[in-house]
Amino acid sequence: MLTVLTHSHDPFYNQAFEEFVFETFREDDVFLLWQNSPAVIVGSYQNICREVHVETLRRLGIPIVRRMSGGGTVYHDLGNVNYTYITNQDGPLDYDRCLGPVIQALNDIGVPARKNRTCDIAIGDQKISGSAQRAAGGRVLHHGTLLFQSDLAVLDQITTHHKNDCFQSKGTVSAICPVTNIADHLSKPMTLAEFGARLLDRMVPPGSPRLTLTPEQVAAVCRLRDEKYRSWAWTWGKTPTFTYEKSGIFAGAPIRVAYQAKRGIVSGAEIDCAALDGGEAARLLNGSRLDPEGFDEICRTLVGDRVEELMDWLL
Amino acid sequence: MEKELTMPKLRPEMENGVLCAWLKEEGDTVTAGEPLFEIETDKVVNQIEATESGVLKKQLFEEGDTVNVETAVAILETK
Repeated sequence: MLTVLTHSHDPFYNQAFEEFVFETFREDDVFLLWQNSPAVIVGSYQNICREVHVETLRRLGIPIVRRMSGGGTVYHDLGNVNYTYITNQDGPLDYDRCLGPVIQALNDIGVPARKNRTCDIAIGDQKISGSAQRAAGGRVLHHGTLLFQSDLAVLDQITTHHKNDCFQSKGTVSAICPVTNIADHLSKPMTLAEFGARLLDRMVPPGSPRLTLTPEQVAAVCRLRDEKYRSWAWTWGKTPTFTYEKSGIFAGAPIRVAYQAKRGIVSGAEIDCAALDGGEAARLLNGSRLDPEGFDEICRTLVGDRVEELMDWLL
Repeated sequence: MEKELTMPKLRPEMENGVLCAWLKEEGDTVTAGEPLFEIETDKVVNQIEATESGVLKKQLFEEGDTVNVETAVAILETK
C-alpha cells in the first residue's frame, strides 16, 4: 500500500488528482486522504438539477463538481475527510473488500463505526460515510466521505426534498439518509488533523511509500482539472436526458415552465406567464446550454429584477 | 463475423445495469481492450472493454436505458 499526498482543497483539482493517480499508479494498492473546501459532488450519471438547489448553491458560492464514480450526491467541506482506495479488480464487484479495512482502521483509532446498507459506514443508525466506485482496465477505485465535523445544516439546505416531481429523468437518484459527525461520538476527543494522521498511519503503515507528485505530474493534473472537471461538457453536458415541467405563481401571475434537455441542450421550451414575454423566453431557451450562468443571463434579459425568483422556476 | 456484447453480471445479485454512456459511435473502429461503453449498477460505474477488435455495427440501447444482465447491448463486426 502506498499513498500520494495532496494538500489542495480545490474540489476540481482533487477530482483530477484522483483520476490521475488512478490512471498512473497501476501496480500498487493506493490509499489517499484528501479534503475539499465546500463543494457539491455529484455522481457520474446524475441530473444535477434534480439533486440539489442549483440557485441556492450559486447564492452560497458553492461549486458543483461531477465525479467519475457512480452513486449519489454528497456535500464536502473542510469538516469532511475523503478517502480513496485503489486496488486490482479480481473477481466480482465487492464493496466489503475496500470497506472492511477502512472500518477496521476506524475502530482501531477509537471510532465506533460499522458497516450499514451496501456501502455505507454508520455509527449506530446514522451515516458517517457513503461510498462509490469506478472500475476500468482491471482496476477499481473505491472512494468515500468521512463526516468528521461537517456543517450538516448546509447539507439539508441544499438538498432537494420536494423538487424531484418536476423532472422526468433517467439517471441515478440520491438516497437521503440521516447523518452524524464522527467527532460527536468519540470517547477520547481528537482534532480533525489527528483523525486524518491516525487513519493514514493505520491504512499506510509508517515505512510504506508516501509520495508526492512531481511538478510535471501536478501540471498534468491541472490540465485535466481545466479541460475536464471545470468544463461545461463534463459537468452539465453529461446530464441524462430529461423533461421538466413546473407551474405555480411568479410575480403575482400564474406561470408554467416546460422544456427538455438532451446532452445538456435545451429544446421544446414553453413558458406561459402574463408577467413576462413567453415567446421571447422560449426563443432564448431553445438551443441554449443547460447552464446556471447562461440561464441567469436569460432571466436578466426577461425580467431585469426578480432574476433569482425566475431562476427557481427554470432550474 | 458478428459478435454480441452483453450486459455483464458484475455481482451475483445483479439483475440489471444502466447503460450510462457510449464511448464509441456506430461505425467506429474498436481494438480489443478499448473501452466501448459505461454501465452503472450499485453506485459503481464500470467501463466495459471490447473483447475483440472490429467495427461497432449497432448500438442496441440508448444512454440511460436499463438493461437486464446477459442481454445484448452492442453488435461488433469482427474479421
